[in-house]
Amino acid sequence: MKKIDYKLFIAVLLIATFGIIMIYSASSIWAEYKFQDPFKFIKAQGMFFIVGIFLMYFLSKVDYHLYYKKANLILFGCFLLLLLVLIPGIGTIRNGSRSWFGIGGFGIQPSEFAKIGLIIYVAKYLSNNKKNMRDIKQGVLPIMSLILVFFGLIMLEPDFGTAMVIVLTLVVMIFISGVKMSFFIKLLMVGLIGIVGLIIVAPYRMARIVSFLNPWTDPLGSGFQIIQSLYAIGPGGLLGQGFLNSRQKHFYLPEPQTDFIFSIISEEFGFLGVLIVTSVFFFIFFRSLKISLKQNDLFGKYLAFGLSFGIIIQALLNLMVVVGIIPVTGVTLPFLSYGGSSLLVSMASVGIILSISRK
Amino acid sequence: MFFNQIHIRIRVCLVVVCVLLFAVIFRVFYIQVFKYNKLSSLAESLWSRELPITADRGEIRDRNGKVLATNMTTTSLVVIPNQIQNKEEVAKKLANILNVTYEEMYRHISKKTSIERVHPEGRQLSYDVAEEINNLGYDGVYLVKESKRYYPYGNVLSHVLGYVGIDNQGLSGIELNYDEYLTGADGAIKYFSDGKGNRLELTEVYEEPQNGINVDLTIDIDLQLAIENELDNVVSKYNPEQALIMAMNPNTGEILAMSSRPNFNPNQYQTSSVEVINRNLPIWMTYEPGSTFKIITLSASLEEQTINLFNDNYYDGGSIQVEGARIKCWKAGGHGAETMLQVVENSCNPGFVIMGQKLGAERLLNYIKSFGFGKKTGIDLNGEASGILFSLEQMGPVELATTSFGQGISVTPIQQVRAVSAAVNGGILHTPYIVSKMTEPETDSVIKLFTPDEGVRVISEETSKMVRYALESVVANGSGKNAYVENYRIGGKTGTAQKVQNGAYMVGNYIVSFMGFMPADHPEIVVYVAIDNPKGVTQYGGVVSAPIAKNVFKTAIELYGYEKSKEGMPREYTWLDTKYTMLPDVVGMTLEEARKTLKGFQIITSGSGDKVIYQSPEGNYYAEEGSKISLMLSN
Repeated sequence: MKKIDYKLFIAVLLIATFGIIMIYSASSIWAEYKFQDPFKFIKAQGMFFIVGIFLMYFLSKVDYHLYYKKANLILFGCFLLLLLVLIPGIGTIRNGSRSWFGIGGFGIQPSEFAKIGLIIYVAKYLSNNKKNMRDIKQGVLPIMSLILVFFGLIMLEPDFGTAMVIVLTLVVMIFISGVKMSFFIKLLMVGLIGIVGLIIVAPYRMARIVSFLNPWTDPLGSGFQIIQSLYAIGPGGLLGQGFLNSRQKHFYLPEPQTDFIFSIISEEFGFLGVLIVTSVFFFIFFRSLKISLKQNDLFGKYLAFGLSFGIIIQALLNLMVVVGIIPVTGVTLPFLSYGGSSLLVSMASVGIILSISRK
Repeated sequence: MFFNQIHIRIRVCLVVVCVLLFAVIFRVFYIQVFKYNKLSSLAESLWSRELPITADRGEIRDRNGKVLATNMTTTSLVVIPNQIQNKEEVAKKLANILNVTYEEMYRHISKKTSIERVHPEGRQLSYDVAEEINNLGYDGVYLVKESKRYYPYGNVLSHVLGYVGIDNQGLSGIELNYDEYLTGADGAIKYFSDGKGNRLELTEVYEEPQNGINVDLTIDIDLQLAIENELDNVVSKYNPEQALIMAMNPNTGEILAMSSRPNFNPNQYQTSSVEVINRNLPIWMTYEPGSTFKIITLSASLEEQTINLFNDNYYDGGSIQVEGARIKCWKAGGHGAETMLQVVENSCNPGFVIMGQKLGAERLLNYIKSFGFGKKTGIDLNGEASGILFSLEQMGPVELATTSFGQGISVTPIQQVRAVSAAVNGGILHTPYIVSKMTEPETDSVIKLFTPDEGVRVISEETSKMVRYALESVVANGSGKNAYVENYRIGGKTGTAQKVQNGAYMVGNYIVSFMGFMPADHPEIVVYVAIDNPKGVTQYGGVVSAPIAKNVFKTAIELYGYEKSKEGMPREYTWLDTKYTMLPDVVGMTLEEARKTLKGFQIITSGSGDKVIYQSPEGNYYAEEGSKISLMLSN
C-alpha cells in the first residue's frame, strides 16, 4: 500500500478547521439569541468534524474497489432513502423542503449521500461501457434516464441546489468519458429552449432572472439576501473588518453560518481572505485531478474525478450566488458552511479520493 | 489513445473551473475595491442609527454687531421604538408628563421606524419637563439638544427679521430670504445597531452640528429703537390705522431703520394674524403719495430747466382749470403771487400743475420711471409691491396735472425714499439693501460683503443742489417747519394724501407724511414718516408727521454726531413757536461783560474768579430765548 496524498489531507483538515472557526464567528450572535448558547452550532459542527476526520481516515484505508462491487446496492439504498424522505412523518421539513431525516437533534439529508452513491454508480457504468459511450442511444441515454429519475426525486423535496450539483457533476463525468461534443451541444440547446419556453409561458420568471443582476429592484424580496451579502462583502475591503468584527451577522444577513458564510469570511478577512479560501479550494481540486489523471484503473479515474468535481462545482455554485453572479440556488459551501450531512459527505468524498491516491 | 481523450477533457474541466474561480475572485475584487465606497456608505446607513442634534441657526445682527436674532438651547424627546421594552408603561408615563393622550404616545412608541421624534409635544421642552423624563431612565428614550430661535428685542424690527417655524425653518423676512445661509447642518450622535435595532457595543460617532451663517444688517438698532418708540407714541396718541417710519442712507441705499404698525412679536408669532405678519408696510403698502411726490416733479423741472425757482412767478388764485376740471389748492383762496420757490415752500398744488404742464406728460413720466417708480426697488426682502403708474396713453391733461402733485398714482414708501435720496444725494439712484454682510459662524470672518451698487444718474449734481436748497427752505420757511432742528440743516417735504376707497376719495381720512433729510447740504440720512388716518388731530403732514421726523433727526444727531452748522437757513417764527436767538460766545470775557452780552438769558455760574473759561451751550449757535446758560469761571 502506497501512502495517501498528505498534502490533500492536510489542506482539507485546514479548510474544515477554518470552517469551524468561521461558523463560530458567523453563528454565535444568532445562537445566543435563539438558544441562549453562542456555542450551539459550533458544538454540533465540531462533533461532525471529529466524526468526519475518522470517516475520512477510515475511508482512505478502504479499497475503493469495494464500491465497484456494491455500486448497485448503494444506489438502491440511496433510491429508497430518497423515497422515504418524501413521506410525511418520516421526512421532516426544514426551510420549506422535505429533505431531512430528523434523528435526535440532528438532521440527515439523504440527497447529500445520494450524490456519492450516484457518482460511484456512474463511474462504474462509464468504466463498464467504455465502447458503448460512443453511441448515444446505447450508452448515454440509459444513464441519462437514471440521472433524470434521481433528479426528479430530489426536486420533489424540493432541493434545487443539491439536484443541480448532482446533475452537473454526473453530466460532466459523462462528458469526460468521451461522448461526442455534438451531444452536449444539443443538450445545451434543449436546455436553452426549455428556459426560453418557461419564460414565454410565465414572463415573471424573466424578472426573477434579471432581479439578481440588480437586487435593488426588489430589496425586501428576491433581492434581500444578495443585498445583505453585498453589504457584508463590500465593506470588507482588501483586508477585512477583522475576525469576529462582522456587522452583517448581527441579524442583517439571515442564517449567516450556512449558505452565506462566504459573505462573512469576505467581511472579516477581506479580499485577502477570499484569495486564500479560493486558493485552497483550487488546491484541493487540483490535487484530486492529479490523482485521477495518474490512475490507470478507469473506475478509479472516473470516481476520483466525479468526487472532486462534485466538491468544486458545489463550491463554485455557492460562491457565484454569494457574490451575485447567478441567482440564489440554495447550495452550501463545502467544508465551510454549517451542516453535518454536507461536511460528512465532503470529507467522505475526500476519504475515497485519498484511498484512490494510494494506487 | 482512449486515456488521452479523457485526460484532455479533464484538463478542459480544470480550465473551466479556473475561469469560474477567477470570475468569483474578480467579482469580489470589483465589489470590495470599486464598489467599496458606495456599498460601505449604504451599509453604514443600514447599521447606524442617528440621534439628531440640531445646529444653531446663524445670528442676525445690526450694523454694529448687536444681536437681533439668536438661539436658545432646549431639549427634545426622541424615542427608538425597538429599544423600548415595556411599551405600555413607557407610553403611559410619557403621556402623563407631556400631557398627551396615551393612544397618541403609544403610536409614537410603537411606530415601525428606527427613530421617532415626538412631534410637536416633545419638542423644545422646558428644563423641568426634560428633567422629569430624564429621571425615568428608560432604554430607548432619549433627550437631544435642540436649538430654538429667540429674538431678544421682541417686536422691534419684526417685519424685517421675520420668524421661524418649529423646525427652525425661516418663514418670513430675512429669516425666509436668507434661510439657506442661516440654516446650519444638523449633527448627530451615530451609533451602530444590529438588525433588530439593538444598540451594539461599537464606537459611537459624534458628528458636530455645523452652525448657520451669520447675517449682518445695515440696520442700526439704536436708531431703530428710536423709530419704534416714535411709532408707539403715534399709536397711543393718534390711534392710526397704520403707521410707518423708515430711514435710509441716501448715498448708499443702506436701510438704517424701518418699522411699521401694526407689528408682531416673532417669539410668539402665532398670536398675530397672517395679514399683520406678512405686511411689511414700508415695502408692501401702496397708496397715493400726495405732496411728498412733488419732489420728483420739482427735480424733473429743474433738470429740464423748465422753471426758475427765483425768477418765475405764479399767481395762485386758489384753483386752476384743466380741461374743464377745477383743481383746487389746499389753501382756500390760494397763496396769491409766488415765486416758484414759494410754490414749493407752500406746497401749492396749482403751481405744481403749471410745472407739470411745462414738462409735458412724456418727460414727466420718463422722470418718474427713471426715479424708480412703477417697479420694485429690488431690496433684499420679500413681499415688495411695485405700485401703479399711468401709461403715457392714459395720461391726459387731468392725469398729468394730478400726477404733478402726487395724486392718481400709487407708490410704495421704499420707492419714495429711494427716489428722494437720488434727488438730494447728487443725483444717483441706488438700489436699497438691508443685508450688509454674511460671516462664518466660528471665526466671524466675512464670507460675503454686500456693497452699494454704482447707481444710475437721474439728475445732475447741480439740479440736486437746487432741490436740496428748495427743500431746506420748505423746512425753514414753509410747510415743513415742524421738522426744523435749531443749528442743523434739514430739508424736507410734507405730504397729505387722500385715500381712495371704491374709486372715490374718502373724506377726512388721509395718509399724512413727511419726507426729510439731513444735513441739508450733504445728506447722510433720509427719513420718511407716514401715518394712515391719525385721529383727533388736524390731518396735515406738517402737523402730525414732521415733529416725528424731527425726533428721529435728533436721535440721528446724537448717534452720528452731525456737526452743527451756521450756514443753515434761519427759521421764520410765529407767535406760537418757541423763539430761538443767536447765543453769543462769551468765553474769555469777564463775568460782567458776559452778563451784559447775555441779556435775556438766565446765567448760572460755577467756579470762582472773574473770567469765563467755558460756556454751555456753546456760543454762536441758536439757543432758546431766556434759557439757562452755564458759565465756568476762573482767575
